Amino acid sequence: MNLNLKAKQENTYDAIVVGTGISGGWAAKELTENGLNTLVLERGRNVEHVKDYPTMTKDPWELPRADQIPLEERKDYQKQMRTGYTIRESTKHWWVKDTDQPYEEEKRFDWIRGYHVGGRSIMWGRQSYRWSPMDFEANGKEGVAVDWPIRYEDVADWYTHVERFAGISGEALGLPQLPDSDFLPPWDLNCVEEELKASMAENFNRVLTIGRPANLSQAHNGRGTCMNRNLCSRGCPYGAYFSSNAATLPAAEATGNMTLRPHSIVNEVMYDEETGKATGVRVVDSESGEEIEFYSKIVFLNASTVGSTSILLNSRSDRFPDGMGNDSGELGHNMMDHHFRVGANGVWEGHQDEYYWGRRPTGFYIPRYRNIDSNDRDYIRGFGYQGSASRQGWQRGVQELAIGSELKELVSSPGNWTMGMTAFGEMLPDHSNRMYLNHDKTDKWGQPTVVFDVEFKDNEFKMREDMKNDAAEMLEAAGMKNVSTYDDPGGPGLGIHEMGTARMGRDPETSVLNGQNQVHNVPNVFVTDGSCMTSSACQNPSLTYMALTARAANFAAEELKKGNL
Amino acid sequence: MDTKNNNIDRKEAIKRTGLLLGGVIFAPNILGVLKGCTATTGDWTPVLFSTSQANTVTALADVILPADDTPSASEVGVPQFIETMVNETYTEEQRDAFLSGLDKFAEDSRAELEVDYTEGTDEQRYEFTYFQNQTAVEEPPNGETPFILSFKELTMLGYFTSEAGATQVLRYEAVPGTYDGCMPLEEVGRTWAT
Repeated sequence: MNLNLKAKQENTYDAIVVGTGISGGWAAKELTENGLNTLVLERGRNVEHVKDYPTMTKDPWELPRADQIPLEERKDYQKQMRTGYTIRESTKHWWVKDTDQPYEEEKRFDWIRGYHVGGRSIMWGRQSYRWSPMDFEANGKEGVAVDWPIRYEDVADWYTHVERFAGISGEALGLPQLPDSDFLPPWDLNCVEEELKASMAENFNRVLTIGRPANLSQAHNGRGTCMNRNLCSRGCPYGAYFSSNAATLPAAEATGNMTLRPHSIVNEVMYDEETGKATGVRVVDSESGEEIEFYSKIVFLNASTVGSTSILLNSRSDRFPDGMGNDSGELGHNMMDHHFRVGANGVWEGHQDEYYWGRRPTGFYIPRYRNIDSNDRDYIRGFGYQGSASRQGWQRGVQELAIGSELKELVSSPGNWTMGMTAFGEMLPDHSNRMYLNHDKTDKWGQPTVVFDVEFKDNEFKMREDMKNDAAEMLEAAGMKNVSTYDDPGGPGLGIHEMGTARMGRDPETSVLNGQNQVHNVPNVFVTDGSCMTSSACQNPSLTYMALTARAANFAAEELKKGNL
Repeated sequence: MDTKNNNIDRKEAIKRTGLLLGGVIFAPNILGVLKGCTATTGDWTPVLFSTSQANTVTALADVILPADDTPSASEVGVPQFIETMVNETYTEEQRDAFLSGLDKFAEDSRAELEVDYTEGTDEQRYEFTYFQNQTAVEEPPNGETPFILSFKELTMLGYFTSEAGATQVLRYEAVPGTYDGCMPLEEVGRTWAT
């Protein structure tokens, strides 16, 4: 009895955060800075900033097989490889092996992820865009799914809060559909991107701006300036882009209030019928297989959209037989991503005497321009473009007649400028797009596996016509030659922006979380990763996850102080 | 099929190619410093290629990227790189296609040059290879990439990801430091390796 009490005491914290990716890192930082003794759980291995980035400074000739992995190893990454860019010799250690982490697909779904401290904050694309008032209002105005329980004004100050800490570079534009962040200085467009920008303003009254990456254009909060290597996804020796490892976890650590526990697979949030609250989480130690219970006053689920939703679905009790907080039956439904891989390429024949220096960690961005003042298309919502121009490298020599010294000479000068742009479109929430657990098929830790049943629908496909044709039209109007289009949606999930399966809403009958990211009817459980999203907008979502997490964590800390949780 | 006639046609075509390109094709700088040398595999012990295949790979890679002011393909380990790629990253089907393409290249060149590719003169090797490449570029077959272009790409990939290729023929900066989106090409000088 005494021993049990002692063990329970040792395993008791003010707060538990499940997950260490972009949102988990923020939850850890904000909760610990509010003085809460916080246990941070991560299912994968530990990754210490800089020390555990084994490939961060490798030159091309230091990587075997020109950075390709052997065929034999590809068997382990059949799904993770679907992006075409994730699994390299220099980055493979950041991604799960599908052979260890199986899932099933009723329809193709690309669940691309990494399990380690820092999660996908190490490999993310770093594009950081605020949502606009329009994005939070669209569902309510159009009668799609459910209305967001919050508006832009509820989040605006929290955007500023996270931007000031994370460091987002970009150009202020004052656009209503893409509010400005609290910016560090922007990167430059290159010569040919400037040509497209000028043409778009003149011919279409549309805006092209430099991307807004979470990369430091100047030293910021103790982290170093970006050196324009563009090797971010290997981990940055300067800490020059935002990751949990470089930014939020060190801040949490510095408070002295954080206990970080890797190798901890959370399989359930424990529920107390009497108090109507969660008591903590149950963990499987991935190395020992031991089951351990940890207790806390509040629980933050930041295990990623699919991870957090799986934990809730697996947290079954008499009160919640279909998963914690699932009175609505919406838990696991309304899965969204962004649909992309549609756009155009072209060649710019001028600027032959000009080139660039450095490998910029971003491209350009074309903010949404469709359906803003009125809905005049045969679809609702819109899309933005990401793209860049560059000069052709040695690869162009393969298809040339030159061989021998002539070939060397040919490729030692850069080829034409080429430009490509890809649209990222909003995906509507739809109840039929869902994930669920298969309790009959378990993984090697005895945990149920996930099944996906998600597809793009009519609105997405109609939008793709504009996404493709507008791109070609804008490139042609600018004077690009050999303009060609492409359209290959791949599977949902390929954008690695999966979201929406525990959506926020006003009504417990139709949503899982309230306007403070609290689970309806379990007020001390918060979910602030992508699963909380009620709609997807067309902007990259991570900045919004950061802001929502900081907001919810500070709300939780205050409520705890007031004795309300 | 009458292979003899094909060979004659090809010889004729090579002559025409030479004429079209005028003196350029025989300029010493194109032939490089390989004159008289027969490529060898050096200290590389092939694990997939036979000795004769390895010799062909080495000779062909050095025709595509010979030594001149900068090292040849074989001097920076490209033949071994090619074998590693084919052996470790290709599917069985791709590997078989590569090996049969390589053997066919050797056979065709023997029929054409009347000696092994590796034993031909630099001019012979260059002309034969030039024609193979030209045919593949100008008259691409439907479907599969012609052997010579797969080989050329592998050679270039291995070469331009090597230190010498990336830093001497191209320009490489591990840590550029700054970004400038629009500057005179002459200030950079050469194509960026990455």
